[in-house]
Amino acid sequence: MNLWRYFLGRLLGSLLVLIGVSILVFGIARLIPGDPARIALGPMASAEQVELMRERLRLNEPVVVQYGEFVKDLLRGDLGISLYTKRPVTSDILSTLPATFELVLASALIMTLIGVPLGIVAARYRHSGVDRAANLAALLGVVTPSFVWEIFLMLVFAFALDIFPIAGRVSRGAELPPMVTGLLIVDSAIAGMWSTFFDAVRHIVLPAIALAMGGLGTAARLTRANMSEVYDRQYIQLARAFSYTEREISFKYALRPAMVPTLTILGLDFAIMLGNAFLVEMVFAWPGMARYGVEVIIRKDLNGIVGTVLVISAFFLIINMIIDIVVAYMNPRIRYQDQ
Amino acid sequence: MTKPHGLLVAAASALLLSAFTMTVPLSAQTVLRLDEHAIGEIDPAKATDYADSMIFYNIYDTLVIPAAGGTDILPHLAESWTIDGQTYTFTLRDDVKFHSGNVMDSDDVAFSIERKMALGQGFSSLFAGVIDSVETPDARTVSITLTEPFAPFLGSLVRLAIVDKDAVLENLAEGDYGDLGDYGQAYLTSNTAGTGAYTISSHNPQELTVMEKNPDYFLGVPAEAPDTAELQYAIEPATLRALITRGELDIGDQWMAPEIKAAVSAEEGVSLGQVAGISSFYLKLNNQRPPLDDVHCRRAFAHAYDYDAILEQTQVTDEIAFGRRAYGPLPLGVLGSDENIPTGRFDLDAARSELEQCQYDPGDHEIQLNWVAGNPIQERIQLMMQLNLGELGFETTITTTPWAMFTELAATAERTPHVSPVNFILTTPDPDSMLYTMYHSNAVGTWASVDWVMNDEVDSLIEAGRTETDPETRAAIYRELGNMLVEDQVSIFAYELVGVFPIRDVVHVPALQEEGKTYSVQGMNFMLREMTMN
Repeated sequence: MNLWRYFLGRLLGSLLVLIGVSILVFGIARLIPGDPARIALGPMASAEQVELMRERLRLNEPVVVQYGEFVKDLLRGDLGISLYTKRPVTSDILSTLPATFELVLASALIMTLIGVPLGIVAARYRHSGVDRAANLAALLGVVTPSFVWEIFLMLVFAFALDIFPIAGRVSRGAELPPMVTGLLIVDSAIAGMWSTFFDAVRHIVLPAIALAMGGLGTAARLTRANMSEVYDRQYIQLARAFSYTEREISFKYALRPAMVPTLTILGLDFAIMLGNAFLVEMVFAWPGMARYGVEVIIRKDLNGIVGTVLVISAFFLIINMIIDIVVAYMNPRIRYQDQ
Repeated sequence: MTKPHGLLVAAASALLLSAFTMTVPLSAQTVLRLDEHAIGEIDPAKATDYADSMIFYNIYDTLVIPAAGGTDILPHLAESWTIDGQTYTFTLRDDVKFHSGNVMDSDDVAFSIERKMALGQGFSSLFAGVIDSVETPDARTVSITLTEPFAPFLGSLVRLAIVDKDAVLENLAEGDYGDLGDYGQAYLTSNTAGTGAYTISSHNPQELTVMEKNPDYFLGVPAEAPDTAELQYAIEPATLRALITRGELDIGDQWMAPEIKAAVSAEEGVSLGQVAGISSFYLKLNNQRPPLDDVHCRRAFAHAYDYDAILEQTQVTDEIAFGRRAYGPLPLGVLGSDENIPTGRFDLDAARSELEQCQYDPGDHEIQLNWVAGNPIQERIQLMMQLNLGELGFETTITTTPWAMFTELAATAERTPHVSPVNFILTTPDPDSMLYTMYHSNAVGTWASVDWVMNDEVDSLIEAGRTETDPETRAAIYRELGNMLVEDQVSIFAYELVGVFPIRDVVHVPALQEEGKTYSVQGMNFMLREMTMN
């Protein structure tokens, strides 16, 4: 019951934040220099044509009226037409979001499945060679910009060793599965199209690792720090005195409390990756939404900007909400404090 | 217990390894893979960019077509035409079918014009205020009457795609055009309604457009032409290089950095193709902003530009450069271009003597040298200008602006920087598309006209070029105009741009690899039906 109320409170808060974001981005997008109609029509368009386009885009109306119309359209699921692609923004986002989501999901998996165990091992063997090696690996992940990883991974694994492909989600000519989730790997598995499945996995490996490296280092270092702190607690020493095995102590008594702050940060990292995927998508020619987001800003495609920011914000809020709930589940003190 | 587990892991690993190393089988058909920096727009009424044009000339046809390697306009969907004063009467071919199977007729031509003008996007500006009426006396005849004589009209027609009226009307969605709904915009954003040598089998404007041969093309498509073409968008230069080297991309785009082009051309089986004569690079001088509202100061700036040094920087390999000497505003080969128009000369002494005649002292104004973010050569040029103008006593600042910001600055003379680098590509084979857009008083306020030339004599010559129909006389007018613009030093005519494209030897592209086969319109050099694949 408490958890349910906690969830409702978070949901309401998130909706309010989303409305605030929509107002903010709607205003800011209009402050970017440049006349979107002129940019879209090019230098040869006459002043009359530019004016006509401005009217069609309602750019001559007061911003409040424009926002009202935008909300009306939004409630019908219509984010307007993109001046960049000349297609509905909704279609643009729907056609690119699954690719980015799949990439971010794969990166989050790598980040969690490698980063957290690395931190656990480092904490368990504190001040040993293993700890130092894990620390070095984590630091490398944190301090090296993603574009360096991208080029390094591409040079080694695609260029020199020729193990992985370097561009796209799947090989040209590959048979595509019927769309169920939009995630190519999942959809090809559902359809039992294993050739496409493995091809898609091969394509996602390098971009996912490149995107995950920063978060992986953070996850390892956070887990190590939090686990180390828990290891110093008296109840852990008591468990040792009672001859619990190290594995039991690590996973049963140390990890759960240590994971609360780590989970919060991982959740944020996961959501931030959605926006940060731009560089990775550019280098690996990944047909995702981050690249679309940057292009619409450069071209002052107002509808595109607002649509992209809203989707990323919604994603950010949903992930945060899920993490909050998981954390509240793991640590009951949080949900009680919030009431 | 351990052994079977280990065996299982080993077997699974082997299975995974084999799965990861296997490749997806490729079809036996020839597939051409090429890329372009910007995304592709397939609605012909909206297409403007390079990628749009590459698609346009493969899936649509026009009434006329420019001659390869020249300025003549040749019949295409129209087999002939007559000009009676301001009325152009076209006789259409009777053997042309759209991709839908519908036969092309005069109704389709009239509809295509109406649609283009109603949408008011793309290159509709070429016809705005120009076309008075369109009549279709019979299925094979179209008469277009102009509001006044307009010599560039025939050339402009290479931007008017003929769309399948019936196919569009069958696929109208809700929209702002009354009975015509959205005028087929939603449909033509992802479908073709053309007669072209290729059709579109899939189109994602941000990722990839796949084109397939049209077996019913009225001119036929040679068997050696690619069966399928995959046009990919917005790939990073480093990735492009890797793709070409690995044999996964056959034609790279012209926007790749010269170092990357040089590196890939050194690979076995890769050469460089070129397109010249359709674009130029200018350092635009703001003619309305002191001290550049004085011709002597403008001339001093032009003498401070080191032409040879910059041309050296355009060198991709020992033989190939992406720049060549410019002779006035028009690229060589375009009607009215002339090798006798004086070319620029770097001479700081000449600059000083011009400055003595200028009404302003160099210290009077701080000069803003701008470059658009993402164009490293523009930065190098402005650094060179800063150094040389400093020698002349000018205080300068270099500013970098994103593209959107630059278009905003270009809207008023007061905010337009003193010196702005601009590339301009011919949009039609006619010089008017370049000269009017850049130098006519009515066209100021855009990124292409940041020189703010508001000169009655220039306007008169541009207008005379529009109304004169005799090609020789027109060429003479444009030569006079070219000389006048150089004499008045409205811009620094830095160099003529040469498009340089890495090409793998699996494909031969006559327009890029043979002398005299280039079309003077952007994107037209990528007509797939003219290419041959090994």
